[in-house]
Amino acid sequence: MKLLEIERLEAKVEEKQILKGVTLGIGPGEVHAIMGPNGSGKSTLAQVLAGNDAYEVTGGSVRYLGNDLLEMDPEVRAAEGLFMAFQYPVEIPGVSNLYFLKAAVNAARKHRGEPELDAFDFSALAKEKAQALGLDAAMLQRSVNEGFSGGEKKRNEIFQMAVLQPKMCILDETDSGLDIDALRIVADGVNGLRSADRGFLVITHYQRLLNYIVPDFVHVMVEGKIVRSGGKELALELEAQGYSWVEAAQGSAR
Amino acid sequence: MASIATERSSDFYASLQPAEIGRLRPMSESAWRSFLEAGIPAPKNEEYKYLSFREMVSKHFGAPTAFDCTESDLQNFGLADTDGPRLVFVNGRWNERLSHLDAEPGVIVQPFSLAPGFDFEDIGSLAKVGKNPFVDLNTAHLDDGAFVSVNGTAAQPIHLIFVCVGDGHSHPRVWIELAPGARAAVIESHAGAGASFVNSVSEIHLNQDSALEHIRIQTRSETVFDFGWTEVWQESGSDLRSTNTAFGGRLARTDLNVFLNGENCHCLMNGAYFAAGEQVIDNHTRLDHAKPNCNSFELYKGILAGRSTGVFNGKIFVHQDAQKTDAKQTNQALLLSKQATVNTKPQLEILADDVKCTHGATVGQLREDAMFYLRARGIPEKQAKAILVQAFVGEVFENVRCESVRESLQNMLMNKFERNASSIEEM
Repeated sequence: MKLLEIERLEAKVEEKQILKGVTLGIGPGEVHAIMGPNGSGKSTLAQVLAGNDAYEVTGGSVRYLGNDLLEMDPEVRAAEGLFMAFQYPVEIPGVSNLYFLKAAVNAARKHRGEPELDAFDFSALAKEKAQALGLDAAMLQRSVNEGFSGGEKKRNEIFQMAVLQPKMCILDETDSGLDIDALRIVADGVNGLRSADRGFLVITHYQRLLNYIVPDFVHVMVEGKIVRSGGKELALELEAQGYSWVEAAQGSAR
Repeated sequence: MASIATERSSDFYASLQPAEIGRLRPMSESAWRSFLEAGIPAPKNEEYKYLSFREMVSKHFGAPTAFDCTESDLQNFGLADTDGPRLVFVNGRWNERLSHLDAEPGVIVQPFSLAPGFDFEDIGSLAKVGKNPFVDLNTAHLDDGAFVSVNGTAAQPIHLIFVCVGDGHSHPRVWIELAPGARAAVIESHAGAGASFVNSVSEIHLNQDSALEHIRIQTRSETVFDFGWTEVWQESGSDLRSTNTAFGGRLARTDLNVFLNGENCHCLMNGAYFAAGEQVIDNHTRLDHAKPNCNSFELYKGILAGRSTGVFNGKIFVHQDAQKTDAKQTNQALLLSKQATVNTKPQLEILADDVKCTHGATVGQLREDAMFYLRARGIPEKQAKAILVQAFVGEVFENVRCESVRESLQNMLMNKFERNASSIEEM
């Protein structure tokens, strides 16, 4: 069974139609990349999949592990193992990273009918994962993303992913604003999570990230639709020729 | 004037009259006259602008008849956890059975009637008759009260508990005095149920270089009319850490007045309240910087749900002599419902020219981006709201030094949230 089956998905925000029929299937163990110019709807797709109600789905369907994803509240999607790493992680003053993540882990455990982790067990787990991502353990006591640099915020997203161990990971422009060292750390973190039963959807504007997180499939999104799909070599082609190449092809096809 | 005269002869006023005016204390008689003269504040009174007394004055409170409750009643009122001495007053009267008077050397925690070194002449020296009708009314009923005197360091927090049971009016009175260099923490718990009118007055005298943590916790049921007046006098080098919290009351009003009467004083005014349903919670603070080189930090946070109303009025007066004053006031409100309102008014009057004074007020709602972020990590909506509410108040509670009290305050906050979660979810 596919992890995620997106069929002719349409969505709008504030009366503006952004997604105009996206179809995409992601199976376990697969890494898909979506590339596309600014404003093509890549991030909207990520937000819709995560359940942000600022976006209104106007058509199509999404099945996640065979169930209707669009019917689920965002917290249910997350508890069922769908994770989106935010392009702009939110700062929450007054809530420590550790407290926040423990609440998240235990919400998912409760959802699955498992006993909750106590503070001691959780703290040990969190410290181990933080270390693997080169994050200072002191970060765990700080407020969620507050005063974090761009790179720290992105690493914190991957750290959360590592702790929550989701089935389906969506990375929304995780590479934006990262220097080459931070990019490598983030990519290592993601690669460490690759497994035969986990799926990835990597959204990026630049081919650069895909040198580090090598995808199985590359899709190009233009004006709310996937206009081309191929293997990892498609990313290189795009890099060489630019988006105008697919945009032009799209234009002439109309 | 005719309407006021009619009101003064109403049941309401008659029901508040002390049984034997002036028998208890000579001051009481003039206080009662002063109260009658001023009366309950009229609608146009600037100091009580957002409070409507209509419902209160339509009631007949009468003198309380019960002066006892059980230990389990006390537990059910959800008081803060403390070890150490405690004084319990039920409907304004000292309850010996529920009190623990044993205190460390140098520490006296006693009712006025038993306290060695207590002088009735002190009472009213800080909260003076003739300036406020509620202080007047309290003084008119002056009989017993809670006396705290600390010389040296009180390691254990001192707990003063004022519960109301049944109906009726009561007028708790507190006198706290710290000797030069003394250190202590005093918690005032104002709890209980019934259709009562409780009107307390606390006077606090901090001598040179003394340090007091004073925590007022009001968790009365939402049928009680609760008034609390606190007057603090700080001598040079003294340190006040005040936390004023209100969760209960039909109508709850606190006045906290601090006078910095010496150099190098520190004053922290820390406050949090959570109003829901039809509650009205009103906090007035006044801080007088009368001498140079003092600093003050004020932080009040309000949470408003349902159709509740919150009021914050913070006055800071920097007197002409008070050069090098450093004063900061912050007031924030979080609205959890579209029907809730908050009225906030900072008032700074600065007569000295070399000072640093800032103030800021904000009113906001739960942030949608933060809500989505929490939910996208699997945290259910109600829990996400609770987390953001806790985070909002967090800063205030972090300023509380007594750890067990800090935890109790967290629990009170979350209990209140739980009780009102359904109305919060409607938003």
